[in-house]
Amino acid sequence: MPAVERDAFFVDTPGGARFTLVTRPTGAIRGSIVFIPPFAEELNKSRRMCALAADAFARDGWQVVQLDLFGTGDSPGDFGEATWAHWIEDLDATIRWVETRGQQPVILWALRAGALLAGEWNARAAIARPCLMWQPVTNGKQHLTQFLRLKSAADMLSESDAKSTPRELAEALAAGEAVEVAGYTLNPALASGMNAAKLETLDCAHVIELAGEDRLNLSPAVSRLVEKTAAGDASVKTAVVAGPAFWQTLEIEVAPNLMLASLDALAGLKQA
Amino acid sequence: MTDIASTFSCEGETLIAITSVPGPGEVPLKLGVLVVVGGPQYRVGAHRQFALLARALATEGIPCMRFDFRGMGDATGAPSSFDASDFDIAAAVDHFMAQVPGLDGVVLWGLCDGATAASLYGTRDDRIKGLVLLNPWVRSEAGHAKTMLKHYYLQRLVSPAFWRKLFSARVNPFASLMELLGTARKSRRAEGPVDSPDTQKPWLERMREALSAPDMPILIVLSGRDYVANEFDELLQSDRGWRSCFERPNCTFERLTECDHTFSNAIARDQVAALTARWVTDRLQA
Repeated sequence: MPAVERDAFFVDTPGGARFTLVTRPTGAIRGSIVFIPPFAEELNKSRRMCALAADAFARDGWQVVQLDLFGTGDSPGDFGEATWAHWIEDLDATIRWVETRGQQPVILWALRAGALLAGEWNARAAIARPCLMWQPVTNGKQHLTQFLRLKSAADMLSESDAKSTPRELAEALAAGEAVEVAGYTLNPALASGMNAAKLETLDCAHVIELAGEDRLNLSPAVSRLVEKTAAGDASVKTAVVAGPAFWQTLEIEVAPNLMLASLDALAGLKQA
Repeated sequence: MTDIASTFSCEGETLIAITSVPGPGEVPLKLGVLVVVGGPQYRVGAHRQFALLARALATEGIPCMRFDFRGMGDATGAPSSFDASDFDIAAAVDHFMAQVPGLDGVVLWGLCDGATAASLYGTRDDRIKGLVLLNPWVRSEAGHAKTMLKHYYLQRLVSPAFWRKLFSARVNPFASLMELLGTARKSRRAEGPVDSPDTQKPWLERMREALSAPDMPILIVLSGRDYVANEFDELLQSDRGWRSCFERPNCTFERLTECDHTFSNAIARDQVAALTARWVTDRLQA
């Protein structure tokens, strides 16, 4: 088994320092994988699974670069200061940081809402980078609404008088007010960016979803995107594997099948 | 205030640490705070509470380090249970004191089972000068939780009476579900590999013994809206031995009645940071 080393540091980007975790083989690398994290608490819950996957990818010869976006994880700033534009800039800076060091090719690896950022970055790029997507969120507006529901549930739990529906919260955000949900302050500019974010195509993407108890096939949203993309003659691939929804489980859980399927996917993405 | 990222090793595994230190030109306090992460969290904490706490403390001149235990977050290795984390904490104290050379000692800061882990370690290392324990986890027997799960909650979930009650809104469905999930989680605990020297004793007993050390200053912070804090309170009320642990002048209780288990809003987080900073600063003058 090749040896793997893990290093943590802050990278200077035009927007400021960004926490970066690099996991790489001690020998030569086949290319770099840039991880694009999911939204809010999903980053915490998935950290272990992503660390294990990064280790597996590194043993397979890849350098894995995990970035904490502005206002999230160990990067500077408060979550409430972060906007969607900051996050696109951060992703841009990290991809350039890797590519100027000659550690190519670069493959994007996105979990959940990270896929929205990957899609948006690729749509603006001169050359799209291949992307491994884990359980992609395809509609930012829907994802935001689900997040706002947490506040309604918390208000109910605490028997607080301040009952707020997701609709009321969305209206407050649209009116330019910040809203605090589950310990995260949401900037109206982050909400508007996320509301507008939508995965329009799966060009150059390999999508892997986890099978739920009620579902063994691709989700309807991803199926629709596959049909749409395939008509455009692109090389989109999909897979469904068994495993827990580790980004939201109460305890830390992992999905080994997802790692195995990803190793195959990465080999294919590199050739593409 | 500056954050420094680094790695250190524990039993051959690589652990990630972030140390928040006061800015250049500021003299750091001689006591640092080491966050002992509890629950299913890594060094950043639920809603970034540990990251924000560390930055708030460093702004007040108090160096603060947080790290991932083996097998959690970005650390390599296999995870172990909260009552078997002595090696991880010892390696972290070594690393913290090497990184901030002016430190005379370290205060351990822990939430939930992190508070329990901090208590169990505290008296074993004379570099530890105090404990800040938030909503400490004291539910003793895993067996108890299992019994509850098997005979009470599951029965309740399948009983038609429970569902009738639920739909007539006499039971808060979220509260019941959270209670059930909490029990399921606990019944899986305290079964992991154990590497402490005297594991023959149950950890709750070891915890009480450790906390009764008369020269260990303790700050206890309890949330008003939290089952775990309620259980801690019940233990104090029902057990004379436990109560007497804290009947001494170097032990302070703070009750934040409006807060939940993880202090999940900006006001609660700031309250905890301010209480911690004041208490640590007072320790230096004491």
